[in-house]
Amino acid sequence: MATQSQDIDSATGSQWLDKSTQETLVRIGRHGLLLVWSFIVLFPLYWLASMSLKPPGEANALPPDWIFLPTVYNYIQLAQDGAFLAAFANSVIMVGASVVLVLLIGVPAAYVLSRWDIPMERDVLVWILSSRMLPPIAVVIPFFVIFRELNLFDTRIGMVFMYVSINLSLVVWVMKAFFDGIPETLEEAARVDGATRFQGFRKVVLPAAKPGIFSVAIISFIFAWIELLFGLVLTNFNAVPVTLFVYSFIGSRSIEWGMLAAASTAMIIPVVIFLIAVNKYLAAGLSFGVVIKE
Amino acid sequence: MNTQTQTETVNKDQPSFARLRNLWNDYLPYWFIAPMVLVMVMITFFPGAYDLYLSLIEEPTVNILNAEFVGLSNYETAFTRGGAIHSFVITITVVASALLLESFLGFFLAALVAGVESSRAKSFYRVLFIVPMAVAPVSLATIGRIMLNSEIGVIPYLIETVTPFAAPAFLSEIPLLTVILLDTWNWTPFMFIIFYAGLSSVPGTLIEASRVDGAPLWRRYVHVIIPYMKPVVFVAVLIRMIDLFRTFGVVYGLTQGGPGTATQLVSINIYEQMFINNSPGVATAIAVVYLVFVIAIANIVIAKVGFEGVWD
Repeated sequence: MATQSQDIDSATGSQWLDKSTQETLVRIGRHGLLLVWSFIVLFPLYWLASMSLKPPGEANALPPDWIFLPTVYNYIQLAQDGAFLAAFANSVIMVGASVVLVLLIGVPAAYVLSRWDIPMERDVLVWILSSRMLPPIAVVIPFFVIFRELNLFDTRIGMVFMYVSINLSLVVWVMKAFFDGIPETLEEAARVDGATRFQGFRKVVLPAAKPGIFSVAIISFIFAWIELLFGLVLTNFNAVPVTLFVYSFIGSRSIEWGMLAAASTAMIIPVVIFLIAVNKYLAAGLSFGVVIKE
Repeated sequence: MNTQTQTETVNKDQPSFARLRNLWNDYLPYWFIAPMVLVMVMITFFPGAYDLYLSLIEEPTVNILNAEFVGLSNYETAFTRGGAIHSFVITITVVASALLLESFLGFFLAALVAGVESSRAKSFYRVLFIVPMAVAPVSLATIGRIMLNSEIGVIPYLIETVTPFAAPAFLSEIPLLTVILLDTWNWTPFMFIIFYAGLSSVPGTLIEASRVDGAPLWRRYVHVIIPYMKPVVFVAVLIRMIDLFRTFGVVYGLTQGGPGTATQLVSINIYEQMFINNSPGVATAIAVVYLVFVIAIANIVIAKVGFEGVWD
């Protein structure tokens, strides 16, 4: 079957090349293009990382020092910079807490949307999606006003709430799709065995939905981790996230390029590891549950 | 009703813990969905209504609750002196071009990777190509400032030493294009990973059948493969479009909307009206228009392409 169709393929294609030459050319072209894009992806990251490992003064040398003795000087400087450590810790704590909270709020709600007949279910789902359509700048101004009244301005709690608001629609949509894919007979069997509805959810459905929860947690983490605007508007000292730290670096007059590169690298590395860990389920998460299997 | 009376009778002879447990299980869907509904109301209706209110009262206002309504005058200011129209044009330009570039590039890369024969090479490319998504837009702006800087940047340097062309001043001469290209670098992986999953879901027999017809490669994609994965294409484009309207960090970190107002997206215009000009009425007036605009476009797209077969 396969060889037959390939014969037809090459017969209708260019006839001046025999089949195997044509295939080799296609393969070379394909890998050539893929390598070009690989280079485009890697070069900026390589440049950032190498800059962070160069001694001060050499970071911006032109022509660039392609070969140099790497030094962790910039990272030591960074580790001694209280503002960076505080911002990094803030981000880890605030984003981490927001992921836990958004799962606690979103996963049970998605379960209900999947299992019960909700009136106007489609409208409810579009309404949930619409929270993602609201431009963050339009959302943040009212919260800027109200947070100052409620003493939530420049607090971690306020920022956690804002991070939850970014990701709630994603969690509900993706988890609803995952729950839809888990047969209801599983819980019914558990209920026949005397389990309550809640036990059926906790002991039967949740374990089966683990991959979905895992991927949606990581994607939520990333979307909150890279957020700048909320930090810019709603914090000024105590709850500054790491994105705002990097931004304030740019704003300052004399930029220490090496340290800036080190801070950016330190910010990117954990996310790269997360992404690679979850790459199998990434499509399911990013497509709001439309793609479930690869 | 029935469950309520049940819990009341149980109340008499059982400890309150058991009563609570019954209350929990009998009304489980309500407990489960209530927090989500509450948060959703707080992050959709509240900001929308509050923006609308602020945009209709006089500014600057000390006492927000007793302010005087000024009708549409803030809107008038926004669209005459506030540069709202200009920033809408800039935003639409960035969203449309980045969306096109990212869609085509993402699909092209997905198709290339899907055709790789060795499964190890395949997963290598698949993992490598998602890495740019790990870079926060503001970090990407940092990288852009470092690498594209006219004096110390490596890319202008390479262009001038390797090619016969003079390097453009990325941040001052072609800032809009630079923003679009940086966003493309950042978010093509998003399209790539969804399209790749979509392509993998196309059954092999369908591809075989189209091959037997003898159709050329591009027609196989346009007439067989893309129609089959239409829901996936639709949702990827819709979500990316929505997110593109949220763009802020990369532009703010790179140019802060400048030089002049060359890269002043609506979100940056609103930010500056609010926090630099201290003009909440004008800022929220633009915000209300922007909000309605984005929701309208998204809903038109949803209605045009249709929900059927996508989320059902």
